[in-house]
Amino acid sequence: MTTNTSVIGKPEIRKDAAFKATGKAQYTADLQPEHAAYAVLVRSPHHHADILSIDKTLALQQPGVIAVITAEDIPGLKTFGLIPDQPALAINVVRHIGEPVVLVVAADKASAQSAASKVVVEYKKLNAVLDPIEALIDPSPLVHPAGNLLAQFNVESGDLDSGFSKADIVFEETFTTQRVAPAYMEMETSLASYHPDGTISVWVSSQEPFIDRARIAAALNLEVEKVHVLSTVIGGAFGGKEDSSLAIITAIAAWITKGTVRMVNNRSESFVAHPKRHPVKIHLKIGAMNDGTIIALDGKVWLNTGAYASYGPAVGSLLTEMVAGPYNIPNVTIETKVIYTHTPYSGAMRGFGSPQAHFAIESAMDMLAERLNIDAVEIRRKNILQTGDTLPTRVHLNETALGLEPILQHASAAVARLRKVKAKPGKHSGVGLALAMQSMGLGNGIPDNSNHRLEWLPDGRVLIHLGVPDLGQGLVTVAEQITAEALGLPFEQVVSSPFNTHTVLNGGVVCASRMTYLVGNAMIAGAKHLIQELIDQAATLLNQPKDQITYACGRITLPDGNTLSASEFTSRAAEQGNPILVEASACFPYPEATTPQHLPIGLPHVKFLFGAQVARVEVDAELGIVEVTDLVAIHDPGKVINRLGAEGQIEGGVVMGIGYALYEDMSLKSNDQWINCFTEYLLPTSLDVPINLEVQMLEYPEGDGPYGAKGLAEICTVPTAPAITNAVYNAIGVRVKDLPITPEKLYQASQTHIGNHQDTTESKR
Amino acid sequence: MNKLTVHFTLNQQSIRLETLAARSLLDVLREDFALTGAKDSCGGDGECGACTILLDGEAVNACLVLISQVEGRHVLTIEGLTPDGSLHPIQNAYVQAGAIQCGYCTPGMVMATKALLDHTPQPDETQIREALAGNLCRCTGYTKIVQAVQFAATELHHDN
Amino acid sequence: MFDCEVNVAKSCTELTQILIEPSARILAGGTDILPGMRKNSIGKPITLIDVSQLNELSYIREHEGQIDIGALTTHSKLITSPLLLQHAPALIDACASIGSTQTRNRGTLGGNLCNASPAADSVPPLLCLEAVVTLSSHDNQRQVPLSDFIIGPGRTCLKQGEYLDHITFAVPQKHTGTSFMKLGRRNGMSIAVVSTSVLLRLDQQGNIEYARVAFGSAAPTPICSHHAEAALTGKTPSAQLFSEAAQAMRTDINPIDDLRASREYRLHSAGVLLQRALQTAWHQAEMDLR
Ligand SMILES: Cc1cc2nc3c(=O)[nH]c(=O)nc-3n(C[C@H](O)[C@H](O)[C@H](O)COP(=O)(O)OP(=O)(O)OC[C@H]3O[C@@H](n4cnc5c(N)ncnc54)[C@H](O)[C@@H]3O)c2cc1C
Ligand code: FES
Ligand code: FES
Repeated sequence: MTTNTSVIGKPEIRKDAAFKATGKAQYTADLQPEHAAYAVLVRSPHHHADILSIDKTLALQQPGVIAVITAEDIPGLKTFGLIPDQPALAINVVRHIGEPVVLVVAADKASAQSAASKVVVEYKKLNAVLDPIEALIDPSPLVHPAGNLLAQFNVESGDLDSGFSKADIVFEETFTTQRVAPAYMEMETSLASYHPDGTISVWVSSQEPFIDRARIAAALNLEVEKVHVLSTVIGGAFGGKEDSSLAIITAIAAWITKGTVRMVNNRSESFVAHPKRHPVKIHLKIGAMNDGTIIALDGKVWLNTGAYASYGPAVGSLLTEMVAGPYNIPNVTIETKVIYTHTPYSGAMRGFGSPQAHFAIESAMDMLAERLNIDAVEIRRKNILQTGDTLPTRVHLNETALGLEPILQHASAAVARLRKVKAKPGKHSGVGLALAMQSMGLGNGIPDNSNHRLEWLPDGRVLIHLGVPDLGQGLVTVAEQITAEALGLPFEQVVSSPFNTHTVLNGGVVCASRMTYLVGNAMIAGAKHLIQELIDQAATLLNQPKDQITYACGRITLPDGNTLSASEFTSRAAEQGNPILVEASACFPYPEATTPQHLPIGLPHVKFLFGAQVARVEVDAELGIVEVTDLVAIHDPGKVINRLGAEGQIEGGVVMGIGYALYEDMSLKSNDQWINCFTEYLLPTSLDVPINLEVQMLEYPEGDGPYGAKGLAEICTVPTAPAITNAVYNAIGVRVKDLPITPEKLYQASQTHIGNHQDTTESKR
Repeated sequence: MNKLTVHFTLNQQSIRLETLAARSLLDVLREDFALTGAKDSCGGDGECGACTILLDGEAVNACLVLISQVEGRHVLTIEGLTPDGSLHPIQNAYVQAGAIQCGYCTPGMVMATKALLDHTPQPDETQIREALAGNLCRCTGYTKIVQAVQFAATELHHDN
Repeated sequence: MFDCEVNVAKSCTELTQILIEPSARILAGGTDILPGMRKNSIGKPITLIDVSQLNELSYIREHEGQIDIGALTTHSKLITSPLLLQHAPALIDACASIGSTQTRNRGTLGGNLCNASPAADSVPPLLCLEAVVTLSSHDNQRQVPLSDFIIGPGRTCLKQGEYLDHITFAVPQKHTGTSFMKLGRRNGMSIAVVSTSVLLRLDQQGNIEYARVAFGSAAPTPICSHHAEAALTGKTPSAQLFSEAAQAMRTDINPIDDLRASREYRLHSAGVLLQRALQTAWHQAEMDLR
């Protein structure tokens, strides 16, 4: 491996940027093949109801209608999911508002919509349970027959009771977080085309096209080879596009009508019928010594996972691992319950449980620091994880944690600097800090490999057949840079092919902060194969001994010292019908010897990312308005592969965190409808983000990462909310334990407590 | 539903269009002219700006313009920003600044930027943030977008 | 696709003829009515009357101490008007706070009034200016004080066949200060949680000779607070006085609990905003005195 990298770390310009800037990039909804039909869904208006009857007659008589489809028309499996509890179209019962019930296919969108309004579904409303704690109490309405407790996770280390009995101080707090939406700008969309040879092509906007393929095949009762899943440009995903729902439904529509069908969700459908970040309640009991050392932590967690499992259990398990935060606590017990309710389902979303866990622990750290009269930085320094420490999951930390202490140092400097900035007249300023930890990888026991192909083109360029789509985050660029580096080629010489399950290998699900690591390692491995193949070609063609031929920077050096360009051989190989095409694979390591095996599948994780954010706020205490004026984000991605891309990830993650802290809340309105539009669900605009958003990247290489790289995409959104609530507390003495911070909450609390510096707001969720 | 005939200029071309009247300009651009640069993200609430185009030089949400309202007017979409489809200095600035991730918001952002710089060639940061407040981006956090507008302003200024 | 008919008015005369149709609804900037139709919150059937060709309804003019604003004047045009900057800066601040650039480029003053939202930002400053609206129909023209024009959430006193032609107010006298303040849930594109506008005129001694106080999002319609006005009139401005006005206004406003805020918070923040708005207007008026 070269140490003097020439492509890595450079702000290379992603190759799709110009295409996107000119509006030429076509997202799935932009594909409008002639004669494509359009399908829309009739969705549940109820939280919970029996479907008594569905009358299609009138709808079928509408002009342009091609088919009106219900669950019974689905030829194969009618449900899907990791836990296959989710019907593609409702079967006899609906479990949340927005659940797909009837699928109407028509010649165009207007006809489909008007026909859909003519479908008559007769419901019998049933009692619904929306609150996860109530859902566990007998006799709560059942969401699924087996009970409302979908999954439970328990992690234990040390001896909790003896820990608490030794502690100088023990305190308990409850924190709650709200339901938020990934709110990618491109809504869910799919295009499916039936082919007369009995195959089907499905364009998806998805993080998991191979899983979509398997599910589509199962729903249509087809062999997987008969399903081609393709993707064009994707308009953001953030976890929420780990969801096959619309892809399956579109495929069903195309299959049954033997045609081409487009579907595009509108924003309100995207809100109610696709994964959200879990609303969570976390109760922490913490025991500490007077010097600030935490010796015991008892955590109880309830996740409202909504009507269907989606990735809920996985989020619950990861959250469990994160409850103790980036701290070394000897005696820990954590119990997490993932609970069904009749609400829109929650699933994967950037951070995957970690933002909720950190909101709790990082708030609690500041609360503890105050009780013990210790500085917020100091108390963290006392407790942070060090290499060699053991996590509550019994994982021994290796060099993966090296960056944490320097991160805290940088954060400390930022805190000191920002504390000196004076508030504008009439405002109270405050500075808050939060650390964060995020696991990488899918977790022990889950197959975690990523397969791709590299092809050396006749003209000497290298083509990556990436087994995953780019969601917008820039994965393709990272893969190209690493490949270019590994082959000593200029960045421009490496290109990528569009995603199609028929032409690429299975690269896995694009998630879990592991794509740079995994794809990067795959590219390096593939590059080695390419070089070997090239040398073999050269050896055969020129009749020279293999071991005396060397490769560097796109050229072959022969034993006599002459050099030839790679294209001399790649073109020859292609002419002979044997293009140089190799597999490029990598597997996320869970070494048997060092990975504890006592936990359920998916646990534990063994590699972690760390970061810190420092927020400075100015609070208008009279009105309860919080302005985040400065935010310093300090992260350790191991090695920066693309500076522009990495900064962009962090900046975007921070702003998503600001939305989480201050604005976003997909709650139930007084009319019993969910907030489902951007008029009511407020995303941060360009005027709602800190003018001073500073990114600092420390690079503590991961030994087995590609050029030392780890990951970044999720952790940058994890510490933002607690950094802001801590800053608000620092400014006006109001502790928000119930996200989001609203002017209302600050006002209510400050009624009695302004300047008192006491914990006030109580959780209502 | 009634039909009508509308005459307007679309990216410098004269258009005569007979269409159902109750359609938005966004739908017409995307469906009748295959100009899919302008996007829908909020479902026509006017809240996202992904559908931003220029109407007589002003940034407007194409989802909130009824097709009859463009009679006699000039419509400029992202596809018409440069006559040959090459990169306009604003687009180039977005590319160079790393202001494009998923790119879904980009055409709308670029058009809002164009309107801003046409009216205010050297905006300060507040003016930039205000001009783009109607364009949501979920990926970038806006920092690099603001930088792109600053680059573009400088670039266009030098060109003049 | 919208579920409606569309008719294009080529002249004001034609407009009055088409408006007789019971289903007729004016489409001005469309920034309220089009999202409303998409959400099915507007009764059907609808015939939209596109008035985009009626340039004669877009103007800002001064004559004989009066300012007339054509109903179809967009917010963008309004906020760049030197005339309004001089005489009605609070109206400029209010209209500048509406939506985004894109919204303001389309949305009209007439639309903001006729939509009759309790949160319509242009209304409080216009109430302070005692604006009068002129309503036209094919055989009649009448003038109605703005305070009588909006009669409930989404309801005006427009009759079948009538349209809002223009808005008129008198150029404020000397020694007047005005201000507008709005509290939203975020900075960009924010609907008012509560808003207030005030107009203060000082006499030569610096006492308040005349006061107008109005609120948005604080009652079923934007409203004036006559109690606050009474508390201010004839008094010497001071923080204490402003706080008394903020107390007095509580008997006039009647905010609701909704998604954006509770009644209680609205009552509180209306008071805070009012005191700040009074300070600003007072300083302006004082500058005018010197
Ligand atoms: C993203 C967004 C943000 C917004 N933010 C704000 C905000 O912060 N504050 C605010 O006050 N508003 C806001 N609005 C609402 C809206 O933009 C304003 O109310 C605007 O002024 C409406 O004007 P318009 O011309 O678009 O009205 P239209 O939608 O065309 O019409 C509104 C109503 O008035 C009727 N009408 C219009 N003109 C006349 C006339 N001359 N005579 C009779 N009837 C007429 C129409 O028939 C319709 O019923 C926002 C809208 C959007 C989309
Ligand atoms: S689609 Fe969102 S503003 Fe037009
Ligand atoms: S780049 Fe993805 S929404 Fe802006």
